[in-house]
Amino acid sequence: MSALNASGRKACWDARDELWKCLDVHQDQTSACEKHQREFEAKCPAQWVKYFVKRRDFLKYKEKIQNEGYEPTEGASKL
Amino acid sequence: MSHVELKFTSRIILRMLRLSCLRGLDWHVTSWTILQSTMREISPLSHHIPKATFPSCRSLKKIHMSHIRTSAQGFPPQHCRLPWLLGEQRAFYSQGSSKTPKPGSTAGIKLRTRLVVTLLFGGGIIGTWWYVYQEKQQKIQMQRMEQLRKVAVGQGDFSLLDHTGQRRTKRDFLGRWVLLYFGFTHCPDICPDELDKLTNVVRTLDKDTSLPTVQPLFITVDPERDDVATMAKYVKDFHPRLIGLTGTAEEVKQAGRDYRVYASAGPKDEDGDYIVDHTIIIYLVNPDGLFLDYYNRIKNDVQISESIRNHVKNYVKLFPD
Repeated sequence: MSALNASGRKACWDARDELWKCLDVHQDQTSACEKHQREFEAKCPAQWVKYFVKRRDFLKYKEKIQNEGYEPTEGASKL
Repeated sequence: MSHVELKFTSRIILRMLRLSCLRGLDWHVTSWTILQSTMREISPLSHHIPKATFPSCRSLKKIHMSHIRTSAQGFPPQHCRLPWLLGEQRAFYSQGSSKTPKPGSTAGIKLRTRLVVTLLFGGGIIGTWWYVYQEKQQKIQMQRMEQLRKVAVGQGDFSLLDHTGQRRTKRDFLGRWVLLYFGFTHCPDICPDELDKLTNVVRTLDKDTSLPTVQPLFITVDPERDDVATMAKYVKDFHPRLIGLTGTAEEVKQAGRDYRVYASAGPKDEDGDYIVDHTIIIYLVNPDGLFLDYYNRIKNDVQISESIRNHVKNYVKLFPD
C-alpha cells in the first residue's frame, strides 16, 4: 500500500479516534467496539494499526503514571 | 604706638610670616622654636598686639621694606602661593602646635583638589582597563567567527534530488533561512503533524514582511520507498514552498550525519510495510549554512516562529559579500 495522502490520513485518524472513544467508554473491552475496530483496520495500513495500538498503550501508561504516581524500583539511587 | 613698639610688632609679624613662608620638612621644629620665642616676646606686649592678621607675602614684603631693616635670611620668597602650600603643610604636620590656623578654606580647597585628582586618576585606570577588556573581547569574537566559518562550510552538506527531480546541494540554499525536517512518507502521525506545524510556522513568518522568507525542507530517512514521485505526492499536502529531498541510501545517510539524525527501519510486515524510527526534530539553518537551533515535538508553532524571529534579528553575517 503506498503512502496515504492527506485525506487518506485524515480518514485513518478519524477512524482511530472513534475506536479510542469507544474503548474509553467501554473500558477497553474490544468486544464492544468490533465495528469501529474493523473500520479502523480498513482505513489504516497494517503498520499504522500496530503503531496506534502501541501508542494507545503508551498513552494509557503515561496517564497512569501522571495521575497515580509510581514506586521507584528497588535499588534506585538515593539522591 | 611708639616707634619701639611698632618696630617690635613688626618684628613679630615678620617672624610669624617667616613661619608661614618657610619650606622644608623640618620647618615645624624651626617654627616651633621661632613660635616659642615669639610667644615669649609677645606676652608682655599682648595688649598691644593687633589680632593675628596674615598679610600675604607680598604685602609683608612691602611692610618690611617700608618699616624694618632686617637680616636677609629666609625672608618671604618670591612666590605667593607658599602660604597656601604651607597652610597644607601646617594641616599635615602640625597637630595643633600652631596657634594660628589658616582659615578653613585652605584645607578645604586642598581636599577638593585631592578628591578631583584621585577621581581623575581612578577614572583613568578604569578607562584603561575597559579599553583593554574591549580589545580582548574583540579578539575572542574574531576567533569565534573564524571557527564558525570553518564549521559552516563543512557541516550538513548534502547532495540530493528534490521532488521535481532536480539535484540540490546545500550550496543552493545559502543565503536563505532553512527549516529542515527528516521524516518519511509512510509515517503514521508524527511526520504529518510536524510538517503541519512547519507549514504553520512558515505561513506565520511569511505574514511578517520585514523578515526574509524561510525555506522549508523535508528530507526522507526512507529512501527505499520515498522516491521522487512519492515525495512529490507527499509534499503537495503541505506548504507550497516545501521541497522534498531524496536520493540513494548513502546520500541520505550523508545528509543526516551532521545533524546527528538517528534513523532505524523497523521490521517489515507481510505487506512489506515498516515504520522507520527516527529523531523528531526541526532544524534551523541560517543563510551561512550554519545550524543554529532545533525544535522538538513540545514546541508549538507560535514558539518556533518567535524563536526564528529572534534568530533573524540577531543574525550577523559570517561571510561578507
